[in-house]
Amino acid sequence: MRFFACLLLCGMTSLGAAEERVLSAAETAYAKGDYAAAVEQWSDEARRDGVSSGLLSALGNAEWRLGRKGRAMVCWERALLLDPREPVALAGIRHALAAGGTERPVPTWAETYAAILTEDTWILLATACFWVATLCVVVPRLRRRSASEWNHRTRVLALTLLVLCAPGLWGGRSLSARAVVRKAEVSLRLTPTLFGEPLNGVTEGDVVRTDRPLNGHVRVTTANGKTGWLRAGEIELIRGATLPIDFDQKAAP
Amino acid sequence: MRRFLASTVLLLLGLLARAEDRVSWEITPRITAPGQPFRLQIMVESDVLLGGAQQVDKEIRPPRGMALRLSGQLVRPDSNEATLNFSGVAPDQEGEYVIPSFTLRFARKLIPVTPIKLIVSKSVAYRRTTQARAELVLPERTFYVGELIRGAIHLRGGDDETVVASFGLESVAEGFTLAVTADRQPLSTELGQGLRTSFELTPIREGTSELSLRGTMLIHNADTPAFSNSNRDRPFTFRRKLVVEHVPERGRPADWTGAIGAFSAEAVQVSKDRPEVGEPIRLRAILTGTGNLDRLIPPEIPGNESWDILPATERRRQAEEQRFFVYTLVPRLPGKLLTPALRFSTFDPLTKQFSRIEFKPIEVTVTGNAPAQVDLVTADPAAPVGAKPQVAAGLAAPAPQRGAPLFRGAPTLSLASSTAFWSGNGLLLTGLLALTGAALYLGYLAAHPEIRRRRRARSILRTALREAASARLRGDRAAFAKSAVRALQVGAAALLDAEEEAMTQGDLERALPGVPRPLLDKLFERAYGERFAEGPGAAGPPDEDETLELLRRLQSLL
Repeated sequence: MRFFACLLLCGMTSLGAAEERVLSAAETAYAKGDYAAAVEQWSDEARRDGVSSGLLSALGNAEWRLGRKGRAMVCWERALLLDPREPVALAGIRHALAAGGTERPVPTWAETYAAILTEDTWILLATACFWVATLCVVVPRLRRRSASEWNHRTRVLALTLLVLCAPGLWGGRSLSARAVVRKAEVSLRLTPTLFGEPLNGVTEGDVVRTDRPLNGHVRVTTANGKTGWLRAGEIELIRGATLPIDFDQKAAP
Repeated sequence: MRRFLASTVLLLLGLLARAEDRVSWEITPRITAPGQPFRLQIMVESDVLLGGAQQVDKEIRPPRGMALRLSGQLVRPDSNEATLNFSGVAPDQEGEYVIPSFTLRFARKLIPVTPIKLIVSKSVAYRRTTQARAELVLPERTFYVGELIRGAIHLRGGDDETVVASFGLESVAEGFTLAVTADRQPLSTELGQGLRTSFELTPIREGTSELSLRGTMLIHNADTPAFSNSNRDRPFTFRRKLVVEHVPERGRPADWTGAIGAFSAEAVQVSKDRPEVGEPIRLRAILTGTGNLDRLIPPEIPGNESWDILPATERRRQAEEQRFFVYTLVPRLPGKLLTPALRFSTFDPLTKQFSRIEFKPIEVTVTGNAPAQVDLVTADPAAPVGAKPQVAAGLAAPAPQRGAPLFRGAPTLSLASSTAFWSGNGLLLTGLLALTGAALYLGYLAAHPEIRRRRRARSILRTALREAASARLRGDRAAFAKSAVRALQVGAAALLDAEEEAMTQGDLERALPGVPRPLLDKLFERAYGERFAEGPGAAGPPDEDETLELLRRLQSLL
């Protein structure tokens, strides 16, 4: 009884603390409309303490408010890789698709399935299932004893989970292999060359599926199924839990 | 006749003889002080009519720091002599300077000029302020790409000379754009008599570049009469190495859009402070300071629920060191509204620090009534008829603290790309496979003991063969027989699955059918005969070759 009372007290205390949480300087700046300051402070926080899905989503919101669609989409997509149900990132991407003029490939069934868990969780789960199944097979042989009933059940369960992990792994790989167009008004090229014939226009913030790289270009497929080549410096891969790359920092004003 | 022929030959020899061009030069004064003007005169005498020299300024390459210009040439159309006058200014550093050899291009002949040496020494008495001189005014520091650098050339008169005019300003500035903003303006009173030419430099790429400026000033000597035409020209040249870098990435704010300089927010003005709902008003933010004002990108102000905001162009001319940012604001709601705040970051090249410029909002009273509903979504004209318009859901309120603690500080590399993860798993799998293989192998050996026994027998047989061969060489027949019998017993025991010590000649006959019994008897007697009482005895020693052949046969059976 005392134990449950303690638990209840701890829960109430944490709820109270959450309600009384003081807004950070970045949140205050965001609320005041000083999105540049919010971006700076959230970026500093991410560099100092590491990223989280919430932080990346908030950063995406501030970047979007500053009109930097590419950086915002990278932040939101990376937040979804960390937490596929992050509400701020999902809302941001919905807003970008509905009103922001960006395009994103429709997820395949494997990608939708993979979004149940993060890519790393799928890998860890599949690895654990593999080892359990392997040990269930190997250990009785090493001990020169016949497998028990429990061994058989565990083996079947592990193998079933391993099979169920396969589409999740495939979908996770496919999700993280997408990229966001970071340059405004670039053209999809027919060939991976400097003077490749322009095929179709893509714009900053569009999400594309990536394929193999060649000659400083990457073969991509856009949301409407057009396939062509973009320069490697025009896109940023979603894979990786970091802040977006500063593509335009070196450029002369 | 003889005299006529002699004089003709002499005349022909005179015509055929190769005439030499004579070139001499003179520098006045012979030794100059640093920065002192000098005159260079080159006299040419040739065998042909010379005429005027062409493109002399392009041929001559004065050494670094020296200004030199062709100021005139004396030629007569019917003469084979020419005199070229150059005016120059000695370099500021002491030393010997050599003008490299060059070629004078006359209409009918090219005449080379040997290198010319100028000695600059501080021992020469020279007061710089007496004569007209040129000075370059340019800050000495690291510059930044996109920065606006203001510089000037001061052509200052001296006590004895005044600067009348200047002309021919040429610039070579790789990696810069150069624009002359004011030419031949009078100098300020504290600098004295003279002219000033102002220019603006903008670096366009990083690295070390050289700025080269040269021109000519026209000077008048104060001692000459007022109405005489005694103006002289004097060249000037400047070469300066400039180091250009990009604005540092470290600490660069997200809203920095290229502003480099020292700026301040002067004022914010609105065209009307009591507009109606929906009535556009003009917001003008005035930025002042020194820097690349013209290259600034106007900061974007996003619209909100109170204002619709459109960028606008300013009709008024902008003054120097002032920039207007103009926006059209359309109020959406009545009441007392604050204009949107305007912020952006700047970089000060002197302090090398970023700073934030902020134009404070001002209050505007909006009259009228609010519309029933403010529709934030505009219709897409390209949408098909009857299609449902997409509703802009808007951004959710950020919650940066959200996220499981597990994900805080998530590694930048996913497991799929982690070499350590996959190599660790691979090593574990390899170890497990090796362990399983070893266990299976040992189990197989345990189930088939004859494998180990035969392997041991083969090993002993090989050793016995070596020992027997060795004993045979030594002539030790007893050792030979012991080795052979031991090998035969071990081999036969492995074949018959029996104890090796118990193997007799009969057992060997079973293991090796057809083996000669007398040979075995002789071997056993030789090997173990000493343990027992002396028997009838075998006839002679065993055949050693036959014994070795027997051992090899046994070895092949194992």
